[in-house]
Parts: sequence; C-alpha cells; structure tokens
Amino acid sequence: MEEGAIGPSAQEIAHDSAVGQTPGPSSVSVFQAFFREDRFFLILSVFIGIFAGLAVVCFRFAIDWSRIYLLGSGTVQTPVRLLLAPALAGLVIAILAIHVFPQARGSGVNQTKAALYIYNGYIPFKTAVGKFITAALAIGSGHSLGPEDPSLQIGACLASALGRRLRLSRDHMRLIAPVGAAAGLAAAFNAPISAVLFVIEEVIGRWTAGILGSVVLSAVSSVVVMRWFLGSESLFRIPPVEMRRPSELVAYVILGIVGGLASVAFASGIATMRPRFRNLAQWTQYLQPAIAGLLIGCIAVLGAPQVMGAGYEYIDEAMHGQFTWQFMAILALLKIVATLLSFVSGTPGGMFAPTLFIGAMLGAAVGGAEHALLPHLSWSPGTYALVGMGVLFAGFLRAPMTSVFMVLEVSGNYSIIVPVIVANTFAYVISRTFQPVAIFDALSRQDGLELPSMEEQREESILRVEDAMQPPAAVVLDVRDSLEKASKLADQERTGDVLLIRLYPSGWSSITREEVKKLVQQGKGSQTLESVLADAGQIPYLHPDHPLETALRYVDRWPLVPVVNRANLRELEGVVTQHDVLERYRDFGGE
Amino acid sequence: MTKGPKRLALSLYLTREPVTLAVLTGAAIVFFLFVTGLSRLYQAQQESLADRWSARGVDDLNAQRFRVAIVDFRTALLYDRDNAAYQLSLAEALLGLKRTDEAYAYLINLWERQPENGVVNLELARIAVQKKQGDRALRFYHNAIYATWPDFQGRRKARLELIDYLLRTNARTQAESELIALEANVGEDAAQQTQLGNLFLRVQDYSRALAAFRESLKLDPKNEAANAGAGVAAFETAQYPAAERYLAKAISLVPGDAASAALLKTTDFVLKMDPFRPQLSDAVRNQIVVNAFTTADDRLKACPLLGGTGELSSTKPVAGVSNATAQDLAQQWERLKPQITERGLRRDPDLVNAAMNLSFQIERRASGSCGSGSEADKALLLIANLHAEN
Repeated sequence: MEEGAIGPSAQEIAHDSAVGQTPGPSSVSVFQAFFREDRFFLILSVFIGIFAGLAVVCFRFAIDWSRIYLLGSGTVQTPVRLLLAPALAGLVIAILAIHVFPQARGSGVNQTKAALYIYNGYIPFKTAVGKFITAALAIGSGHSLGPEDPSLQIGACLASALGRRLRLSRDHMRLIAPVGAAAGLAAAFNAPISAVLFVIEEVIGRWTAGILGSVVLSAVSSVVVMRWFLGSESLFRIPPVEMRRPSELVAYVILGIVGGLASVAFASGIATMRPRFRNLAQWTQYLQPAIAGLLIGCIAVLGAPQVMGAGYEYIDEAMHGQFTWQFMAILALLKIVATLLSFVSGTPGGMFAPTLFIGAMLGAAVGGAEHALLPHLSWSPGTYALVGMGVLFAGFLRAPMTSVFMVLEVSGNYSIIVPVIVANTFAYVISRTFQPVAIFDALSRQDGLELPSMEEQREESILRVEDAMQPPAAVVLDVRDSLEKASKLADQERTGDVLLIRLYPSGWSSITREEVKKLVQQGKGSQTLESVLADAGQIPYLHPDHPLETALRYVDRWPLVPVVNRANLRELEGVVTQHDVLERYRDFGGE
Repeated sequence: MTKGPKRLALSLYLTREPVTLAVLTGAAIVFFLFVTGLSRLYQAQQESLADRWSARGVDDLNAQRFRVAIVDFRTALLYDRDNAAYQLSLAEALLGLKRTDEAYAYLINLWERQPENGVVNLELARIAVQKKQGDRALRFYHNAIYATWPDFQGRRKARLELIDYLLRTNARTQAESELIALEANVGEDAAQQTQLGNLFLRVQDYSRALAAFRESLKLDPKNEAANAGAGVAAFETAQYPAAERYLAKAISLVPGDAASAALLKTTDFVLKMDPFRPQLSDAVRNQIVVNAFTTADDRLKACPLLGGTGELSSTKPVAGVSNATAQDLAQQWERLKPQITERGLRRDPDLVNAAMNLSFQIERRASGSCGSGSEADKALLLIANLHAEN
C-alpha cells in the first residue's frame, strides 16, 4: 500500500497524540513488537516455503515412480505400454476426480486465485492430496501435462491449511495461498524469480513490500529445500546463446508472430473444447481422460513418444540440435493436440510444461526453417528454443514479464534479453488481438467464477489526487503567526472555513475561522498559532500522484487535505475535499 | 495498563507465537526426515537404474552399436543427469555416429564443469580439428596434456595426437618441441620407443629418431619396424654401415619390406662406391675411383643440360673444387680422363681426390639440372655429401 509514502495517517496521528500516556518499553511490548502479525507472517512464509518445497519433492518422486512403474524405466517403451498406461491411468483418475477429489481438476492457478478473491484464502487440504495423487498418476502415465501448476496448488493448499490452523487474520489468510503458490511453483520450476513474478503478475496482481517479502521468502526457502534433495541443476542444459548481428532480430520477430498465432490456436482450442467436453453426458466424464490417454498413446506409438508427460528431457534434446526442424514443428503441433486432449478431458495437471515444450519446439523449428531459407543467419537451436519458450509463455499464459524473466533465469544469460523481449512483445500483442480474454480468465469464467483479470487490471486507468484537487487555498498561515494576524488574513480572504497552517520544520495543520475568532475574542490574539495548536497536531497531506482512493481515507475526517509537492513538502500544490473527490468519481463513472 | 492485563499479554505472546514456531520447527524437522528417507529410497532406485542402463550402454559402445548406446546412456542420464561419465560416454557414442554438434553440446557442458578433465579436453580438441578450428584445437590439446588423467597413457595419447595434428598442419617446429617433451616421458616400452622414433623421422630429427629406435631394439631386437626405422635414421645421418645392418635385419624379419629393400640397395652402393672408406687396399680404392669417374662420365653424357653454358651457381661448392661452368667441367674431365686409370692413380695418389671431386661436382650439377640418375649416381651424391660434411 501507499500509506508508507504519504504523511502521517489517521492511526499514526492518533497514536502520536497518545504517546505521552503510554508506559515505557517493557518485556511485553518487546514481544509485541517482535511478534506483530506482519513479522510473524514473514517467519511463517519461510515455513510455508519449507513445507511446500518438501511436498513438491515428494510430488516429483511420485511422478517418477508413477512413470517407471507404468511406462517402464527406459526411454523407449513398447506399444502396449504406450497405449494402455495413459488409458488405464485416465480411468482411475476420472473415478478419483469425480468421486473423491472433485477439486483436483484443472491446473490449479485459478483455484488459488479463487481462494484469494472469493474464499478468504480457504482451500481444502483434501484438494492438495487429490492433486498430488491424480496429477502424479496423470503425468507419470504419459498424459501431456506438467507438474508446475499442481505444485503451485499443493503449495497454496498447504499454506492455507497452515494459516487456518494458526488462525491468521482475514487479510493474511487471503494472502497466504499465493505465498504458498509461489513456494510450490518455485520448487517445481527451480526458478524462484519466475515463480515470484508469476504469482504477483497473475495471481495477486499488486506489488507491496509486505506481499513481496513473504512471497520471496517462501519461494527462496522452497527452492533451497528442493535443491537440497534434487540438486541445483536447471530443468534443461542451456547451450551457448548465439546472435551475431542486430539485423537477426527480424528472425525473432517472425518467431514472435508464429508463436503468437500458435498461442491463439492453443488457447482457443482449450477455451472452445473444454465446455463442450464438460457438457457431454455425465457417464462420458469417466471415459474422457481414458480416451484422451489412449489417443496420446496412439500419437506416441505412431512415432512421437516425446509428447508424453512433461517432456523436459526432449526440450533439452531440442536445444542441443538433436531433432530436425521439420520434426520439431510436428512435435509442437502434436503437443498442442495432446495437451488439448489431456486438459479438456479434465485430467488434473499443469499447462506450464506443455507450454514450454511447444514453445521450445516451435522456436527451434522456426529458427531451423529460417536458417534453411537464409543460411547466413546464425543458427543455434538452443537460442531459438529458449526464445520460443518465452514467446509461448507470453502469448498463451499471458504473463509477459514472467516470460522474459523466466527465460533469463532458466538460461542464466542476459545477452538473450533483446530477442526475448522483441519476440514476446509480438506474441503478446497478437495473442491479445485475436484472443482478448486470457486463458486463465476464460477458464475461470467457464467455471462460473468472476475472478479479477490481472491483465485487465494492469491496463485499467486509475484516478489520481491531481485529478480532483483544487488550486491552493488563498489563506495559508505560518505556525508562528499570531492569532490576530490569522484573524485579519481570514477576514481579508473569505475563501473557505478552514485555514491551512504550515508547521516547522515540516507538516501541515488546520484551523477553522470560527476557532480563530473565538480565541481572539477570548483575548488570546497576541498568542501564536503554535501555542494553540498543541492539541490539534498535524493533519495528513497528499501528493498529486497518489491514487484518488488514498484521499478517500482522509477527506471524511479532515474537511480540507493539503496536496503538497514531493520535493518540497512546504510547497502547497492544491487542496482536496470530500466533495471534490466524490465529484471526480462521479464524472469518471460517466466517462 | 494494569498489572493483570500486562501479565495476560505476556503469557499470550510467550505461549502463542514461540510455541507456534517451535511446533512448526518440529513439524518441519519431522517432514524433512520423512522426505530424507523417501529421498534415499528414490536415489537408490535412480542409482540402480542408472547403473543398469549405463552398463548396457558400455556394452553397446564397446560393440560399436552407437545408436543403441545413445538410447542407453540417455536413459542412464535420466536417472543421473549430472553423471560426467555417462555424458562423456554419450558424447562418444554420438561421435561414433558423427553427430558432432550434439556431442559437442555434451562435451562443452562437461568442460564447463570439469575444465581439468583430460578426456573431455581431448574429445573437444578432436572436434575442433574436425571443424578446422586450429586455435581451439591447440588450446584443447594443451589443456588435455596438462589435465587430470586416470593414468599416464592418457596424457601421452593426447600429446601424440597433438604432434600428429601439428605434423599434418606443417607446424614441424612445434611438433618437434612436443616430441622432445614426449621423449622424456616414454618409458621402457619397445612399441612406444618405435612410435617416438617414427615421429622423430617425420620431423626429420634423425639423430633422436635413431636413439629412440636403438632404445626400442634394446628391448625388442626383433622389432621389424624399429629395425626399418633405425635403418632410415642411420641412412639419413650418413651412418651407412649401421643403416645396412638395420635394413638387412628388417628385411630378414619381413622379406616383403620394399622400402627397406630399396634403401638397402642404395646403402650398398654407397658403401661399395666410397673410396675413402678405411681399410681399403690401394688397388681396390683405385678401382673404385676409376668406376666412379666412369659413372660421372656417363652422367655427363646423359645429361644434355651439362653440355650448355649454364652457371653452376645452383650447386653447392665441393671441397677442393671451385664452382665452374658446365663447360669447365667438361674441360676438366677431358683433361683428367687420360690420367684416371689404375696405373695413373697408382703413380700419382693425389689424382684420387681430384677425380672424386670432379665426379662429385658433375653429379651435383647433373642432379640439379637433370634430376636423379641411376643408383650409382645417387650413391656418388650421398658420398659427396658425406665427405663434404666431413
């Protein structure tokens, strides 16, 4: 919140006025100071990170065990296993998702947002258990889904359960789910910065020191735990990034355009097919994941087993030029189909990994095609794959900032930043143009939830104090002026009932004409304003760039609030009253 | 605030938050221990699978079934992705299929983690050679030479490859300095000494080559390659009797060694046609001189360019005989011819030197103008060089 930036708040003023009555520091106040809920929440964030990290490690083990026992330990499986494993697992998942864990469906991002905005941070713990079991089974058996979004939800569930147990305040309860979500995502992705950014950009939608501190602490602690058990290697090995000439940015523009169109196709496919599948007869819900699994198995048997599961090992291979660009283009297309089948059939699992897979394959394929047409272009499949991942992240998940930092964090190479920004911008703009509603917003609306769209919020124009403030009041007194002088000035300028007073060395106060007259009549005309203001104290002040909603907190208690220059707090730029604020809001509603 | 509420607040904060933190810490420890146990199970399984798949990979790699080996090692890496040995084996399998770029990606990744690994540096050097990246190749070869190796052979192998690369790129001086460094590290191994000798032959350091072959023959006197190499080295250092001995031995060990046989034939000519050999009787020496003079005469007649007026500036000066035109040579020959008989030489022994010097000069001039002549002509030239150096 902006409170820290403005002048003393009402609470602080009240507190200041009472300072003289409070007892000196005691052991109780030391504990109170130390264990204020805000600070306790920060400490709690570390524990949430640790628990989420441990849970995600278990989740990773579960996925691997599921894969080994269902598909076999090798990288080349028999056709029977490829067909039966995802189909039978789909059947079991459907039964579990319908009868035991109905909340486990979907990716988990919207459920976390719903907890924040609708359920006061409440996510049933059963959801975490269900998500853990069903997603591990789905990903391990070869459904084209990823572990990141379920990890995000598992982290949020654990945090929510912990918050309920500790009976946190409503504000903190609302925030605790995103804190856990960041921890889960960071551990799953081994990328704390991207996780923090994603949660802030896509779930919480606002930046404050308190939220940022908690989210960062939980993300970092979960990543530390995860690395303790699983090592610090990134999900894929990054080859040297190559770009010889700035003119090659054109190649990345093309990648951005292709990636944007692919994102639109992918998102439209999910948004269109998901409700249709959900509207089919109830009994088909039992079969949908199994049929999806069978079809994915068919794709694998027909020569593209790479589309099964999260597919990180194949992203790694693509980055190191181990596929032809034609095959990578086919893989990107098949992965879109496979992920569509898995997701719209209601199989629990995430879309992060498939998005990265499609992006990497598409990026390397576009790069390869460009190099085939224009051999003088520098050709590094790893660079194009990395940029491609960012492109799909920006275009499909519509998290432009996260997409850039994700690529930087994963690659550990800042020389790639220009192509990433260029390509992501094109992909994002194209995706927004052809698919105005972001995929997470579309999914939440299909589920009957009207969750706030972070994308729309980011672009919402907001009113500021400068839009409502009036020119400075004519009478501005100095705290050292006498009451007599104040009275004369007030008589000369009849521009309002309230007179503003500049304090030394800084700050503002106010006094009404009636009060001045009354004091003069009492024979106190020779006294300074300072002597009579001792009890009144300061009044809050604002700056012109403050959001107008900040002014609302003060204008009902103080009839006139000064608006002062940030560089010179004694310079009055205007004043704002409750009437001005309400009038501006009324006009804004009409606009 | 009264004493009662203060105590209440104190007890609230003392009991609630610290106890909560203690409980959370305890729960975290319990959860951590549980995951540690689970992790051990998981790691054990992963290690077992990695071992199993890598063992298959090694078998396939040894059998040169590169395609299967790649799948095996990739699977092994799925369970132990940081294992440098698997990555290296996978790179080797990829190199076996000539998938250099893919192999390079694995190797450079390994190199970043283990820049001191000799095998990785050597493989990267080989890739750089294939890609004709000379500077990188030299850097990786040198890295490999000074890197960590499980045994001494690796470092020696890296240096040998570097020498071979330097010789192929005509960097003979660098190759020779590497060979001298290698010489100090070659142990008592006949095959290694022979290899060293052959490399010295390639850099034309015949003395060191002969020393290496002799070391080899001390350890294995019946080593045909060492005998043949020693023969060449001895021949090139004009130690013809030794060359004859080594070459004869080489031919006796491998009768089909045509190169040694040809060299032996030339050596025999040199030995037979050299009148300055010790322990020769006057009669034999005179006969040899007459024969040499006749050979020179044949050469003079066979080489039409010697009949012209060209300067002999292209030929080296021969001791005792000043540079002369072809015409001068012909005139000198005409003047000496009547005297170069066995009787004439017996009467005036000084004519031996004069006749041989003129013969050498004619052979040198003819060699420069008309190319190599008969075996006898070649022998005369070698004898000329031998005594010119002396």
